[in-house]
Amino acid sequence: MNSVYVGEIGLRPATEVDLAAIMAVEHQCFASDAWSEANMHLELVSHHTFYWVATAQVDDGPERVVAYAGLSKVAGSEQSDVQTIAVEPDFRSRGLGRQLMNRLVAEARQLGASEMFLEVRADNPVAQSLYESLDFVAIDRRRGYYQPDGVDAVVMRAQLEPINSQPVVLGIESSCDETGVGIVRGTTLLANVISSSMQEHARFGGVVPEIAARAHLEALQPTIHEALAEAGLTFDDLDAIAVTNGPGLSGALMVGVGAAKALAAALDKPIYAVNHLVGHVGVDILERGELETPTIALLVSGGHTSLLLVNDLLDDVVLLGETIDDAAGEAFDKIARIMGLKYPGGPEIDRVAASGDPKAVRFPRGLTLPKDMAKHRYDFSFSGLKTAVARHIEVTENNQQAALSDEQTSDIAASFREAVVDVLVGKALAACLDHNVPRLLLGGGVTANARLRAVAAERCAANGIELRVPAFKLCTDNGAMIAALGAQLIMRGRAASGLDFGTDSTLPVTTVQS
Amino acid sequence: MLAIDTSAATSVAILRGDAVLAEVNTAGAMMHVESIGTAIAQALALAGLKGKDVQAVVVGRGPAPFTGLRVGLAAGTVFAQAVGAQLFGVASLDALAWSALQDPEVLDQVSPRTPLLITADARRSEVYWALYSGLSAQGVALRSDMPAVNKPAALDDLLIDRNIEAVRVRLREASDLTSLAAVPIGTALGRVAQAQLAEQTLSQDTSPLYLRAPDAVLPKPHARYGKAEFSKPVIASEVGK
Repeated sequence: MNSVYVGEIGLRPATEVDLAAIMAVEHQCFASDAWSEANMHLELVSHHTFYWVATAQVDDGPERVVAYAGLSKVAGSEQSDVQTIAVEPDFRSRGLGRQLMNRLVAEARQLGASEMFLEVRADNPVAQSLYESLDFVAIDRRRGYYQPDGVDAVVMRAQLEPINSQPVVLGIESSCDETGVGIVRGTTLLANVISSSMQEHARFGGVVPEIAARAHLEALQPTIHEALAEAGLTFDDLDAIAVTNGPGLSGALMVGVGAAKALAAALDKPIYAVNHLVGHVGVDILERGELETPTIALLVSGGHTSLLLVNDLLDDVVLLGETIDDAAGEAFDKIARIMGLKYPGGPEIDRVAASGDPKAVRFPRGLTLPKDMAKHRYDFSFSGLKTAVARHIEVTENNQQAALSDEQTSDIAASFREAVVDVLVGKALAACLDHNVPRLLLGGGVTANARLRAVAAERCAANGIELRVPAFKLCTDNGAMIAALGAQLIMRGRAASGLDFGTDSTLPVTTVQS
Repeated sequence: MLAIDTSAATSVAILRGDAVLAEVNTAGAMMHVESIGTAIAQALALAGLKGKDVQAVVVGRGPAPFTGLRVGLAAGTVFAQAVGAQLFGVASLDALAWSALQDPEVLDQVSPRTPLLITADARRSEVYWALYSGLSAQGVALRSDMPAVNKPAALDDLLIDRNIEAVRVRLREASDLTSLAAVPIGTALGRVAQAQLAEQTLSQDTSPLYLRAPDAVLPKPHARYGKAEFSKPVIASEVGK
């Protein structure tokens, strides 16, 4: 095995720009029979070929191409061919070949192919067993096909299932304190049932992971039952199961994943393990029928504060920044506690702030100073703000030798809220303008905050940016968004996740499907 | 009958009458969520059954470390729901006791006066335990009391206090299914459920035997930095609920 440190591996469609990098891999992999650069160039630009590259970051170097694969599919033909596939020696045995092959199969299915062919060297049993595991069957042998080595080629064929363009998917979400079960048909929402354990956490002032996990176990069966009833469906109507496997609270995620896997095994249906945060982005599909890209997405909840650049929901989601300490919703909860308000803090602060002056106190805007913006342009920090508010209350009370008046409380709540909203919207807009993206999508429970929506609407309008805020029930954690993302994967021909995946509490947004 | 237990490793079995149609056991006490789906699917394949063919599901209720235990309970509950099977629960310790009592030598020593002590790793240097006085006519291990959790030393004191000379079998390693008996716990769970069904004591209660409250402390009222304390009692109405 190799000793290089490898960062995350990503897949994306190849372009002409990748030619030199692809040729470098080609020469490493095919010493005696590499294609010429001119031929490879033609392959990359042709209208009936589709090339994908896998990229990885090695040590501290730039991201570079470490594997690629190409598909040929002539319009109108039902047949498709694997043109080539190559993985750099150092990156083998990591499942990259399988990932690339799955991508080619997905592409071919999307293009309407019903068969896929490939040739493989007769002296390469590893590759042959990979193809066999992907349902390719040997159908022919070509003598001396590979020259100058004189090695035979085994011709293999796979029958491709037509894509289900209207899959009925049941999605299960259990990453935090909401047990969500949703059902979609293609891009149509059929059911969205949420059971929350929020009230059980109230007296602790925040989500207690063990309490959340216990509540999920109790809520799952009735929530699934209710979702099916709402959709007017039975288990037999389902085409697939989708489930959140991260990011989130491990113990909570495991309840949903355990249930989803049992469901898939019981019904003998495919299962798709999907990313919670990408689910929040994809939910817009249920309201619009599609996700317009590129879009910037600002996801704000009790567990996350993330800014994403979404060029493609399934293949190109980039994490621009996230909170380096508290999530925004957490900051609301903590400040509410300091001010003697109830949990959850967001709606309480919203209520008290309604009559307050947002300019009464100028609280700090985390990570907005020039030196911070250089390093943390799209990152958030709310812990300094929290301390500033606590200090302000304490100093005020000490000075006046009396507890805060209602007016003072309202002003502080309004000023605090303004500081949070200002940073959230300011950084999201900066991301839109920097990346020349004319739309902003909000997601997460904090979008319920009236001031956040108002300021975002106002500043987006002023900058000619279209603002999308899905209905609140689709903004908070829910199973419908998970089902919707699962349906997108199916509609784009993606292979199911299998039954062996685990949960990942810090799953990166670049892993849309595990 | 499909039996699922994740109190130690992942253990799945399918039984029909006296026959064990499938047994799937995975090593390791930490990989429940990874292994549960494949274990169930493999068991069905080994038994040559579809999910719909399963008429009853029995889940192991622990007591056991929570996170892994819940994976099996969630899976069993939803499996039964999906195929319309009946759902039952059996304490995992009862299955272990049943296993231990299959050994005639052990069974011989056990009586109401010299009960069998079954323990399982509860982490935090504690053990889950229960006492068994023998087997019922149908072969169900007779538990004298609810399972409990204690430090081993405290358990010893407790037994001395109650003047109980327990028959002990080797402590079960969380990751080792074979330390107690040759029968995997999934299969033993199924056997106990069948026996309880026959004597009509099989329970539909599948709630986990946690035996410990969640680790969560109620927050103190917010600590002030200054000396003065002016605030109204902070979340007074909430504290102590």
